[in-house]
Amino acid sequence: MTDFIQNCIDGVMIGSSYALLAIGFTIVFGVLRRLNLAYGPSIMLGAFVGTLLYVQFQAQILAVALVTVIGAVLAGMYVERLCFWAIRRGAALASMVSSFAIWMQLEEIAVIILPERTYPFPALTDLAPLEIGPYFLRSEHLTMFVVAVVLVIVVHAVLYRTRFGLAVRAVSENPDAARFMGINIDAVMFWAFAMVSAIGGIAGFLILATDQQVTPYFGLWATFKGLIAMMLGGMGSLPGAILGGLILGIVETQSLWYLGNDYKDLSAYFLLFLILIIRPGGIFGHAMSEREREALRRV
Amino acid sequence: MLTVDNVVTSYGMIKALKGVNLTAESGKVTCLLGPNGAGKTTLMFTIAGILRAQAGTITFDDTDLTQFSPVKIVEHGISLVPENRLVFPMMTVRENLETGAYLRVGKNRSAIADDVERMFARFPRLEEISTQLAGTLSGGEQQMLAIGRALMARPRILLMDEPSLGLAPLIVKDIFRIIEELNQAGVTIFLVEQNARMALRVADHFYLLEQGRITFSGSPGELEEEEVIHRAYLGSRRE
Repeated sequence: MTDFIQNCIDGVMIGSSYALLAIGFTIVFGVLRRLNLAYGPSIMLGAFVGTLLYVQFQAQILAVALVTVIGAVLAGMYVERLCFWAIRRGAALASMVSSFAIWMQLEEIAVIILPERTYPFPALTDLAPLEIGPYFLRSEHLTMFVVAVVLVIVVHAVLYRTRFGLAVRAVSENPDAARFMGINIDAVMFWAFAMVSAIGGIAGFLILATDQQVTPYFGLWATFKGLIAMMLGGMGSLPGAILGGLILGIVETQSLWYLGNDYKDLSAYFLLFLILIIRPGGIFGHAMSEREREALRRV
Repeated sequence: MLTVDNVVTSYGMIKALKGVNLTAESGKVTCLLGPNGAGKTTLMFTIAGILRAQAGTITFDDTDLTQFSPVKIVEHGISLVPENRLVFPMMTVRENLETGAYLRVGKNRSAIADDVERMFARFPRLEEISTQLAGTLSGGEQQMLAIGRALMARPRILLMDEPSLGLAPLIVKDIFRIIEELNQAGVTIFLVEQNARMALRVADHFYLLEQGRITFSGSPGELEEEEVIHRAYLGSRRE
């Protein structure tokens, strides 16, 4: 039982970073109705620039964090201009395929910057794990969790309390109507992309600082985790992204502990498979409140 | 005064508007009638800047709007109540109204709250349901909300695209009553309608649009109303 609870704690901590990645996917999907496969790779590229600074110039951890986030945002803006802004609405598939192409491009750039497979990434803290009764809490995990909670609150406040948030929600609900209100859709998409890339950059930094190493495959990894978490929770749903991330984290740590490393990803995919059969829209896709479902039905 | 002068708009190779001329006088209700596919919504979209005119000019109170972006056109006091209402289904009634004032949000929050209260005073029903999600409202309520939302931009002219579409006859009466009341309160209205009979009752002046051209204009009662209504529904008789 102790093991189980310990796994749940670890799972929630790790899951909080998955939740951040899923939020990134879900907001972009909500606003653009298109998938950005290059999301993970653009975070990876930011991390590689940060790593370069660390490896070459022994940069401070905060500088690495800052550069990672800025790099991710710039890469994200590049992806937006190339795959989403340039390719108009209605060509969702073209956007997705081109974001896949840009993924390859970003990986190649990363390999040119740092040609070896694996590089060290600076650790955030060297504090000993926290002990709470029989349970341990790694300090990196705790930081990750706290930052994730803060970011979720910030994102929620931005979406529901600011003018930009009003525009983002209006565009995700009905882009045509949003245009009639005088909302500049292109600008909203661009800044939503920038915001999401910054969230991704922070999440990527926290994950890598926990792993203390980075490879070009981090992009693939981050895209997968974010996509799975989003699909578990329900495409385009913010609470869904959070719940999906946490569930994915818990399932992974439990299966890693009880079934071994080989089964970690397998159980995650199996869970996704099950969810998609039982609730094809994801957990929150279907569990959308009665009120909300009613609202969508009548329009 | 809104002036549309010789406006041509195309979708690719197909000309939807082939040189449209009309004016909507300030303080009046101007109505554009016409059968399906005549180009009514195309004209609305061209005025709102969603579509670009290939030729001709659109001026509003001496400002040339032809090359303006949709955002600038809203800033210039032109707001659109779109066909099919297009309320934001997952937002509350209040939030929907706030999106209407989007260009002012962030600059002056309290003024917007005042405007919301004013909308509630004009449409008491909206206040009763202010926390409901817009998608759960009835068609008539949604239309009321769409009108309120457009008014939140403090427009100098209100473009209304088929406000009676898909509504029950009694509700249509309500909507036209609202249009009359708005006009009496000084709002300039440019109305696109298929429901010619109702539209002619509120219109000060009307135009008939057929196949991308204005084929008739006049004031209600001036000419044979039955003929106009017939053509608005069915188009001109072919010779």
